[in-house]
Amino acid sequence: MPRLVSKYFGELDYSTEAAFQFPEGIPAFEDQTAFVFLDQPQTHPLVFMQSLGNPGVCFIALPALMADPAYRPDLSPEDLALLGLSPEPPPQAGSDILCLTLVTVSEQADPTVNLASPIVLNLRDRKGVQVIQPSAGYSVRHPLLAQEDLVPCS
Amino acid sequence: MLVIRRRAGEGFLIGPDIEIEVLEVSPTRVKIGILAPGALPIIRKEVLLTRQENLAASRNAPPHTIAWLSQKLSSNSVAGYETPKLDVRRISGVS
Repeated sequence: MPRLVSKYFGELDYSTEAAFQFPEGIPAFEDQTAFVFLDQPQTHPLVFMQSLGNPGVCFIALPALMADPAYRPDLSPEDLALLGLSPEPPPQAGSDILCLTLVTVSEQADPTVNLASPIVLNLRDRKGVQVIQPSAGYSVRHPLLAQEDLVPCS
Repeated sequence: MLVIRRRAGEGFLIGPDIEIEVLEVSPTRVKIGILAPGALPIIRKEVLLTRQENLAASRNAPPHTIAWLSQKLSSNSVAGYETPKLDVRRISGVS
């Protein structure tokens, strides 16, 4: 079983069929074309999108429906082609595809999610793409938590 | 912001060697042609925003922030929603 070095969880064994291929990488990381998704009990429901090509490249992700229960990605014919999916019948969320959103955390600012450019995975053929949807009205910095969650308890 | 009204077929220049032409106008989109020196990068704004946000999202996250966030999210979780299995095998080296 191959072994990978992960950014947040040390060395891990994984099976090659667990990897997702990103034929075009993602913007700013075009050379990272294979990722595994780590869903650990101690960090659930966060999912860690770990590059197989570079241990230092790991994104924190969250199923988009957990950030916005009404979330629907707008997949263009080009996105569907990159994922190896056909428009008819429409792919079913949860069984054919999974839509994740990348989380930005820092010490200085409240956590945000990028709902404008979700990561969409083809769960059957293990392919992934970052969908860039300019006109869907979503923000790249959508606040993840309601304000009352951010106020420290007094 | 400078605002210029143009019809399809009309254009304008930015500096001596960048030419922008409006090729086609439909109710929801415009088709724009750009003539510029090859070395000049041209990037769609949403791709640039995605690039910048990906770089921000890839920065090191402090372990206590990750722990706080996952705890917060599991207590707020959407009723009945379960993440589909992503098939990463159980892990050695993590206690």
